[in-house]
Amino acid sequence: MSRALPVVTVLAGIVAIWYAAAVWMNATWAFDQAERAGQTVTWAEVIPQTMDQARPLLPPPHQVGAELWKGLFGQAVTSKRSLVYHAFVTFKGTMTGFGLGIVVGVLLAVAIVRFRVMDMSVMPWAIISQTIPIVALAPMIITLSSQLGLTGRDIPKAVIAAYLSFFPVLVSMVKGLRSPDQMQLDLLRTYGASDAQTFLKLRLPASMPYFFASLKVAVAASLVGTIVGELPTGAIEGLGARMLIGSQFGEPLIMWASLFAAAILAGILILVVGLIERIAGRRMGVRA
Amino acid sequence: MKKLLMAAAMAAMASGASAEDVKLQLKWVTQAQFAGYYVAKDKGFYEEEGLNVTILPGGPDIAPTQVIAGGGADVVVEWMPAALAAREKGLPLVNIAQPFKSSGMMLTCLKETGIKEPKDFADKTLGVWFFGNEYPFLSWMSQLGFKTDGSPGGVTVLKQGFNVDPLLQKQAACISTMTYNEYWQVIDAGISPDDLITFKYEDQGVATLEDGLYALEDRLADPAFAETMVKFVRASMKGWKYAEENPDEAAMIVLENDQTGAQTEAHQKRMMGEVAKLTAGSNGALDPADYERTVATLLAGGSDPVISKAPEGAWTHAITDKALAN
Amino acid sequence: MTALWLAITVWLAAWALNVRLAGSGIAQTRLGRILVPLIFGVTVLVLWEGLVRGLNVAPVILPAPSAIAAKIATSLPVLWQDFAQTILKGAIPGFLIGAGAAFLTAIAVDRSPFLQRGLLPIGNFVAALPIVGLAPILVMWFGFDWQSKAAVVVVMVFFPLLVNIVAGLQASDRMQRDLMATWGASYWQSLLKLRLPAAMPFVFNGLKIASTLALIGAIVAEFFGSPVYGMGFRISTEVGRLGLDMVWAEIAVAALAGSVLYGLISLIERWVTFWHPSQRH
Repeated sequence: MSRALPVVTVLAGIVAIWYAAAVWMNATWAFDQAERAGQTVTWAEVIPQTMDQARPLLPPPHQVGAELWKGLFGQAVTSKRSLVYHAFVTFKGTMTGFGLGIVVGVLLAVAIVRFRVMDMSVMPWAIISQTIPIVALAPMIITLSSQLGLTGRDIPKAVIAAYLSFFPVLVSMVKGLRSPDQMQLDLLRTYGASDAQTFLKLRLPASMPYFFASLKVAVAASLVGTIVGELPTGAIEGLGARMLIGSQFGEPLIMWASLFAAAILAGILILVVGLIERIAGRRMGVRA
Repeated sequence: MKKLLMAAAMAAMASGASAEDVKLQLKWVTQAQFAGYYVAKDKGFYEEEGLNVTILPGGPDIAPTQVIAGGGADVVVEWMPAALAAREKGLPLVNIAQPFKSSGMMLTCLKETGIKEPKDFADKTLGVWFFGNEYPFLSWMSQLGFKTDGSPGGVTVLKQGFNVDPLLQKQAACISTMTYNEYWQVIDAGISPDDLITFKYEDQGVATLEDGLYALEDRLADPAFAETMVKFVRASMKGWKYAEENPDEAAMIVLENDQTGAQTEAHQKRMMGEVAKLTAGSNGALDPADYERTVATLLAGGSDPVISKAPEGAWTHAITDKALAN
Repeated sequence: MTALWLAITVWLAAWALNVRLAGSGIAQTRLGRILVPLIFGVTVLVLWEGLVRGLNVAPVILPAPSAIAAKIATSLPVLWQDFAQTILKGAIPGFLIGAGAAFLTAIAVDRSPFLQRGLLPIGNFVAALPIVGLAPILVMWFGFDWQSKAAVVVVMVFFPLLVNIVAGLQASDRMQRDLMATWGASYWQSLLKLRLPAAMPFVFNGLKIASTLALIGAIVAEFFGSPVYGMGFRISTEVGRLGLDMVWAEIAVAALAGSVLYGLISLIERWVTFWHPSQRH
């Protein structure tokens, strides 16, 4: 209870601010409409009108909640109108990209820590790769992969997600693999440990907290990549596609509901990754 | 040129596994704007011709011209300005059919901004779509004598997103709309048509041809592919005419094919009604006069013209002549 | 095809050279640290050029680096205008405001365990959200010019930084904190002399991630509406015009800007966290 109370307090504060902002932002429209109709209205008349506009600037929480409820539970989960269905599509893309990102990130990190030439030539470019706005490359990834005969939409999406998620893993793993200090390295040398042994018994375990900490960032990045990837890959299905359609057809409620569905998906992913982190940490004897 | 031919040949190999498989790349997301193709597929018109057609929806980052260049499609739905610009860039696109006779593009303005006729645009902010759709606007402005760099006496141009918010939020005096889509969103948002003033490109004499079917020139030289296109165009036009006669059914077919599940019935039915007005005047064959007007409009594109010289061989009646013969 | 084989040969030779360089004494010098990645980068470009020429890739699919370089050379004024709009007006102010706000919030929350317990889980949650989805909404709120882009950047960098800073402030050992207490250090002394310095590796980790997010945010936001200049505008417009050489020119500028930003942060990090084991390899 003592843990929930602060969270609930802050949440209540946010909801209160949200309602106030909704009234303030949506009021302009209500006043404009009245003016166009040649009427004058008072604030007391406007406030109820700000609560259920069809295209609010900022929909109040209950409108978003209702739309989200309708999307999640209003129909069978296999329906194309179900947010569960679209969230699952996005989830699949996120996981593919996440897995790919981890593999690439860890392998690169190991190679970078092990081989000087990799460190010197590849690391700076790995950093630069992240400064390239992937969204700009997305249409090109699609054309190039269709040129290579890969017409599925999942592949470009996963590539974009992996492109964003490998980097946090790489940075943290490099830092983690280098985190043992000189004394520990010297100790292993006095034991006559080989490079491989030093790596397996010291560097790798030492990097684990860094690795798991990076996973949370990586899974979030992968989700961002997937959603961004769903915009240009034809806007077919997935939460990103729904956000786009919501924006295109001026249906802010669809956008907000998809955004919150994405938030729920992100929350579940983070929880699961956190759980894995805790279990792995306990089994490896890491201090909590 | 040889380089391009080879790339196109590669593209042909990549896509043409079986002669009767056809991939159609749309210009935008699944909506009634493309009803004819969905109807033709759903009603089995393509099947009757022995075609296996895959319809690929577009999106904000998908340039149909780039998709066809990469071999991702056999035929694309594109607007003529973008297709001609691509042709000048070295991608030999040819118009093989023109289901849309009239242009649906217009500028919609709020009356309260004081705009009554095009010359009132001076010093106003106008919302325009880019991504290859800006060309008609730029040539119109240059014909009106307005600079588009925001200098005094000219107009300020905004790249408008995918919706009508700039008008509702009064960030722009006018925005680009289509008769069959965005205009109705403005109305749906609660603005009465009396508060709006619209300028159709068609009425201003600067209309350019919209949704047409384009294929690559070198592939059309192959009689087998040309024959496939004949069948494809014939079935597509059958789909369009069916959609015009049965707009409600066509809208429902589009809705069933919308994989986002976010399109609404009311919106699609109305869009179908408006689209039918644009396709009504066309049997599929391109009207050379419309083509000439489009080219003239584009060549008048001011300082940064879309195309620098009149293109040659950018359209053909070879496909539609055969398709419409029987 | 010869162009392709030539490129592959050059690539292999340069890689061998890099292995030698990295193993030699030059690797320790500043020259070596710049030379090796440079050689690697150049060989990637050579390989790219060879691929495009050798396989006759159409320029509307993938232009050759030489064509992109030529485009950059002839469109410097345009590139500069786009850079100023997107990076100088959108990304950098947004980054600074977001980072400053995150820092102040972290310090403010630090004093109140109640708020911390309330804000942290929420902050953690929001940090993981695809904030990019807010871009169309923020463009609608803040208009078309750079303000909406800066707003997207602020929201994108705020939460990842907040979480990193708060985590960093808890990074000092219990024993170290007890030691400060036995010396009679006040809250502020302990914060300034122990906990803030101990937090720095986390802070810089966050800053580095935020710097790349800032660029993505500023560019993506332009897709949803912008004036007729800016890097995101140019990219999305030129893809539609099949001006792929211009698209890649903008990408090159974005990469350069991002690298400079990242490099600056790394330099400051090296200077601030000289004591951390990761800086002593």
